[in-house]
Amino acid sequence: MSALGYAAIAAQAGAVVVGAPLLTGWMRQVRARLEGRAGAGTAQPWRDLRKLLRKEPITAAGTGPAFRVAPALLVASTLVVAALIPLVSTATPISGHADAILVVGLLALGTVTLALAGLDTGTAFGGMGSSREMTISALVEPTILLAVFALSIPAGSTNLAAIISGAAEDPARLASPAGLLATAALAVAVLAETGRIPVDNPSTHLELTMVHEAMVLEYAGPDLALVELGAQMRLTVLLGLQASLFVPWGIATAGDSWGSLLLALAVLAVKVAALGALLAAAEVFWAKLRLFRVPELLAGSFLLALLAVTASYFLGTGGGIL
Amino acid sequence: MASGTLTTLALTAPVAVPALLAAGFALAEWRAGGPPHRGAPPGRPAPADWLGLLTPAAILAGAGRLAAEVHGTEGTFAHGRLLRADALTVWLLLTVGAVAALALAATPAHLAAERDAGRADARTGRRYHVLVQAFLAAMCLAVLAANLGVLWVAIEATTIVTAFLVGHRRTRNSVEAAWKYVVICSAGIALALLGIVLLYFAARQAGMSEALALDWPALAAHADRLDPAVTRLAIVLIVLGFGAKAGLVPLHAWLPDAHSQAPAPVSALMSGVLLAVSFTALLRCRTIADAALGPGFTRAVLLAVALLTLALAAALLLAQRDYKRMLAYSSMEHMSLIALGAAVGTPLALRASLLHIAGHGLAKTVAFCAAGRILQQEGTSRIAEVRGLLARSPALAAGFGMAVAALAGLPPFSLFASELGIVRAGFSAGLGWAVVPALVLVLVAFAGLGTRSAGMLLGDPGDRPTVRLGAAAGAPLLAGLAACAALGLAAGPLDGLLSDAAAVLTGS
Amino acid sequence: MTEALYTQLLDLACGAFLLAAVVVLWLRELTVVVRVLAVQGVALAAIPLLIGWYEDEAALLGISAGLALLRGGLLPYLLNRALTGPRDSEHRETRPLVNVAASLLTAALLTLLAYAVTRPLVALEATPATRALPVGFAVVLIGFFVLVTRRRAPSQVVGFLLLDNGITAIAFLAASGVPVIVELGVSFDVLLAVLVLHILTTRMRAAFGGTDLDELRELHD
Repeated sequence: MSALGYAAIAAQAGAVVVGAPLLTGWMRQVRARLEGRAGAGTAQPWRDLRKLLRKEPITAAGTGPAFRVAPALLVASTLVVAALIPLVSTATPISGHADAILVVGLLALGTVTLALAGLDTGTAFGGMGSSREMTISALVEPTILLAVFALSIPAGSTNLAAIISGAAEDPARLASPAGLLATAALAVAVLAETGRIPVDNPSTHLELTMVHEAMVLEYAGPDLALVELGAQMRLTVLLGLQASLFVPWGIATAGDSWGSLLLALAVLAVKVAALGALLAAAEVFWAKLRLFRVPELLAGSFLLALLAVTASYFLGTGGGIL
Repeated sequence: MASGTLTTLALTAPVAVPALLAAGFALAEWRAGGPPHRGAPPGRPAPADWLGLLTPAAILAGAGRLAAEVHGTEGTFAHGRLLRADALTVWLLLTVGAVAALALAATPAHLAAERDAGRADARTGRRYHVLVQAFLAAMCLAVLAANLGVLWVAIEATTIVTAFLVGHRRTRNSVEAAWKYVVICSAGIALALLGIVLLYFAARQAGMSEALALDWPALAAHADRLDPAVTRLAIVLIVLGFGAKAGLVPLHAWLPDAHSQAPAPVSALMSGVLLAVSFTALLRCRTIADAALGPGFTRAVLLAVALLTLALAAALLLAQRDYKRMLAYSSMEHMSLIALGAAVGTPLALRASLLHIAGHGLAKTVAFCAAGRILQQEGTSRIAEVRGLLARSPALAAGFGMAVAALAGLPPFSLFASELGIVRAGFSAGLGWAVVPALVLVLVAFAGLGTRSAGMLLGDPGDRPTVRLGAAAGAPLLAGLAACAALGLAAGPLDGLLSDAAAVLTGS
Repeated sequence: MTEALYTQLLDLACGAFLLAAVVVLWLRELTVVVRVLAVQGVALAAIPLLIGWYEDEAALLGISAGLALLRGGLLPYLLNRALTGPRDSEHRETRPLVNVAASLLTAALLTLLAYAVTRPLVALEATPATRALPVGFAVVLIGFFVLVTRRRAPSQVVGFLLLDNGITAIAFLAASGVPVIVELGVSFDVLLAVLVLHILTTRMRAAFGGTDLDELRELHD
């Protein structure tokens, strides 16, 4: 049992590290095909990373420790999240610590690290990107917390493993107004947190609009590789979390065998790939919002999350908290 | 049997006669069609304009018949439990009838003057009659309805019908006033609907049947079984909602605009009786709430609303530059006095409030009709541009001056007696702390009203022409002032009715 | 219909009803707002349908059909007619008194207020329908908010209709609807009020050259 649990943790973390660049490549490929281009292939992000990792490490003159630690810290914090949250199995030795608030905190740690690094460079772009990133995440973090809180009310716990195994047993929770509102709110929050259209455009370096890219403009070589990998892992983890929360079937639970663990891994890959394809397809049709309208979108998703909380409190069909 | 039929007829006529007249005028309008033509020779009222007077006749006749019927009873019903009359209904019907008689008697002269000025033709005249008669029908339905839901529907209908009367001139001012009127009143009164729905919910929870849960006498009889928390929420919404239509804060902003833009006889009807009718709707709901909550809660709410309205009206009266708006703010002042009396809530105070409703209706009708005449004659509604009216048209100036004196609460008019009654009742109920500031504010309003009107009536007429007031326009003014004074000197046979009406509201 | 399914469907209808109100607050394009209002009308009509189905009351089914026609069809159609103005800027709520992000946050506060206000109602009788009462109150409050902060004549009509939809929803959720005669009268009054506002909008265009309510500032003290 314990070996199975540790294997599950390793599988989650390994799948996220290996799969993250593949997911990005897959999304770019879907997008390219929809736009009528051939595309560079699903493995292209891995090739890019390999190229960057072979280069000589260079840091910009006048930067301090914040700039240097940031890439490693970003990857490390995301890796901890990947090991913690129940992507493959809800019964790992550390799933008791998979508290939603802790997970959101770890993700915020990565965001803050990058923002500090952007400020540390002392360039105009870095500061601008950091300030925009902080504005957005100030609205996004409470939204994610509220959405997860709305889902935790029927489960009676903020532990993600408990929420997910509860939802797998009682699917009616997900079709309730609270579940639907929380899904919508979390989807918007994930888009904002990972810097996708319509909040940010990951494939542009247009100075008027860029947010994430502006912060990391000064990185090069292996550091840039880590930053890119970290961003890709965040996207994978958040999509995986969303998939686990709202399509909780197929995840291995306590007492399952090695076979079901492998099955869960395959199901996770399919779910995340499907979500990624959906997101890539949506990005073809959406335009990026003007920066001034981004707070409107985020305020809207915050409102949805709040409505989800109130709805699950007061309509509370299976709740029992009141 | 015959007596039962007569009662049914008396209950039906005040609604049916104006409704039929409205349909008749609408039919005439539809048949006439074609290009508009002038209806009557210049300066002469059109004969059809006098037809409208059938309605006040029907209302007053119905009220007279019902007055004998309702004494010492719980009230009489007609058409199932749709229409109902008690002493309060009769008192309001009498007021509506008297005010409507004055306003409709002043209408022919008003329309004739409008036609001469080229602002109206036969067609707009007929439309005017359709809307005014429909307005009266809706108002009488609101007075007679036994069901609170029907009462709400009737009061909202008055808003819809009068919207085009307020906006009849299609100028920027008219459109603005009409828009504000419809939006604020409809939204405000929607709150009252919400309150009524909550009362219905509470009544159903208290075990009342679907048919009786909105029926006023049934609700009043079983009000002590209603859930207090729900009733409290409901009565606050109802005070806000019907208060909006009665010109009380916080949803009063439509009133000065609408009253200054409507044609003078319509302003008289809206100010004189429509405000009072919706306030009475509020009072009926208050009777229910008091039985469920005890008198303290609604008294506090009404006192706050009344004093705030009074302070606002007094301040704006002091700085007023437009005489029709001045009269509108004076209406708010008087509605807040009536609300003050209702807040005190003793039989004596309620008697005084009801008397005040009638006296204010009569005096305000005369004031608005005279103001409309002044507007037609001078072509401006700005106080500063009207000077020396007493020297140029003495009869009109005297009518306006006397009406303003009545509104300021001077004897011998009935408003003096009723204000005195409200103050005395307030002191004896231990609410002196509220009555004293109210008195100060009334004095401020008095000063504002007095100085502005004096400026218009007195002063050097300059070289402006002298204008005579015709008998058709003058008679309603004289009749209204006489009725208001008579009511003040001797309520006489109406005394018993007034006591019965107050007793309806105290639930004894 | 089992109680669990009934509760689930009723909650879904109420959720859609509230969400439509929030989306109205979110959008600027008035033609889209009117479409959302139509969706809200249908969600509103679903409430008496579900209650009537669950409690076996045929009258409620008829009322539901009438409501769907009026609130989901006729009133949005009338509003759309009022939007056939010549200019593009007429069809957008360009500068509300409170910007969209702040209005959305206000809507969140109003929803919490609605839950606080309705506690005594829910406490009186805790059925699945009365538990959804805060939704009706939230829509009433949001409607009032739209009415106060929007500066285009058609948006104020939208606010008025939100207010009225909310009250109708409260009536059905609290007491399975007011008596039929009152319901008919209320619906008729609302229809007439919207017609009157429609005509006044036309006149406003003629007199002011637009539907911007900031132009209405001639009458004051």
